[in-house]
Amino acid sequence: MKDAVLVIGAGVAGMTAAIELADSNIETVLIDRLPTAGGNALDLYKAFPTDDCFYCFEGSRSRPGIRKCFYRSALIDQPNLHLRTDTEVAEISGSPGSFTVKLTVGPRYVDSRKCILCGLCLELSNAFEQISPQCQPQAVIYRPDLLDDGAKKAESDCPTKAINLNAEPTEETVNITDIVLATGYHEMQPINVDEYSYGKHPNIITQLELAKILDPNGESGGALLRPSDGAQVKNMMMIQCVGSRDENYYAYCSKICCVFALKHAKIVSSERNGIGITVVYMDMRTYDRHERYYRETRDSGVRFLRGRLHLIDPREDGTLDVTVYDSLLNKYLRHNIDLLVLSSALEPPESNDGIIQLLDVQMRSGFIGPSDPFSENEVVAGDHLYVCGSATGPTEVPESVTQARAVVSKILQGRRS
Amino acid sequence: MSDAEEQTGPPITLVEPIDVSKLDSEFRKTIRSMPNGEELMACFACSTCTAACPIANQWDYKPHQLIRMILLGMRDDVLSSKEIWECLTCFQCQERCPQKVRVTDIFFDCKNLAAEEGMIPDNIIGLARELAEKGQLYVVTADWEREDLGLEPEVPGLSANGIREILKTTRTNKIVGGES
Repeated sequence: MKDAVLVIGAGVAGMTAAIELADSNIETVLIDRLPTAGGNALDLYKAFPTDDCFYCFEGSRSRPGIRKCFYRSALIDQPNLHLRTDTEVAEISGSPGSFTVKLTVGPRYVDSRKCILCGLCLELSNAFEQISPQCQPQAVIYRPDLLDDGAKKAESDCPTKAINLNAEPTEETVNITDIVLATGYHEMQPINVDEYSYGKHPNIITQLELAKILDPNGESGGALLRPSDGAQVKNMMMIQCVGSRDENYYAYCSKICCVFALKHAKIVSSERNGIGITVVYMDMRTYDRHERYYRETRDSGVRFLRGRLHLIDPREDGTLDVTVYDSLLNKYLRHNIDLLVLSSALEPPESNDGIIQLLDVQMRSGFIGPSDPFSENEVVAGDHLYVCGSATGPTEVPESVTQARAVVSKILQGRRS
Repeated sequence: MSDAEEQTGPPITLVEPIDVSKLDSEFRKTIRSMPNGEELMACFACSTCTAACPIANQWDYKPHQLIRMILLGMRDDVLSSKEIWECLTCFQCQERCPQKVRVTDIFFDCKNLAAEEGMIPDNIIGLARELAEKGQLYVVTADWEREDLGLEPEVPGLSANGIREILKTTRTNKIVGGES
């Protein structure tokens, strides 16, 4: 591997950058801490602004017109792209333009090149799991904390001998010219925001948790059921700005939760007929072209209520009595609902602090900022260091793709001179 | 200590909320299906209508609140409100609405619904009676102003009989207690 680029994080931004670099004939190492590529988007089901299945986003300009799976078309088939999942950066040395990066890989319990997804191990033991039908690499994952006899039997019975329960982590050292930080975001678990009772009642969930329930590949086949008892949801409510725009948690606006909520509200009202849905907001921030989304969502029958939560009162039948102050009417309204969805703040991943320190890049509200805050190069984090996607702060999918392409352009320009 | 242990429920509050399940969730569909009510749902509660209204400062329910109440299903409160009848029908709210909600027309729809249910303020019934009996709301009287202007005491050629006959077959007649 010569003059390779390292992309940290295999979400939308990282995958786009890696694929386009590889397509430009640049050796690219794409790493992710998790066992599968895809990042948060893997759980999204539909993505705005096109309401496409996320998996079918156009992956590469050099494959025009092909709307087949992003992953299959690039992450496997592109010879310049070296995907390493379950992998973290252990050490970075050298100087800009000639980094030496030590990676910790694995342990690789399942050899993804051998796994044929026959499903035998999934039948024998709960320690094996297929995260998503679209997971990449296309292989099952193994969770050593769930080791049982079935897992041992699976190891010996695996028809391709892909399983090694005694696997150890390995190290890999790569020589790198440029580093792309695409470390993404994490959805805040609002357990500390007492008034919302998150974590205290099963029918109080976050937007990402709702996305998983709505996904036709999910446990309920996309039916909107109450987590407490599996009963059909009849009425639900969403609350915006939970932990965002709040000096006690995150002072910034998480930017995409309004559209995120609108997308889910519209899916619920137009594809899961008969479910009543109310969205409680203080400002709807549907920037840019997403205003259309807002209008269509109102039109589809979703109720919008400007105000804030007063009180949640759980009932014995599993429902919640939620009283909300309507600041436009100056009245308190009580709703009896089955499901309360919190649009929780998008926060920087914990691992960001380490990488920010290691590379001495600018921190911006916990995310990674540009090296020169006054330049227009949002994606330039330092000398031969780039940042794109939600690593810069909450971004939507098309914005992540645009930033990733900007990074690719910068790297290509750097190589010409 | 025992006091603290007894308090297991939610905190005590003096708020008496409106129970949304007791409201009429069909009301917004009714209004939406009436003439010029199509854009009702487009309202995003910016309160431009209230900002435009020349008399809303006199009202307990402002125009944007009335639209909110329609969307929430507060049928009885809307139809029995004095505000829908006090609307000057200047159409400024409707002209300025950024989402093309026909606010004034929707208040007309509300008045028609209220009238169907017999909820018409007395002063409006008085006006209807005047109209039904005389065929006109403001009867021209011979006074000094007409004299000063050199006009005849009565409007030449004015006859309200035709109008009066027509009104007998309309709902105006019904409002004042006649058969329609």
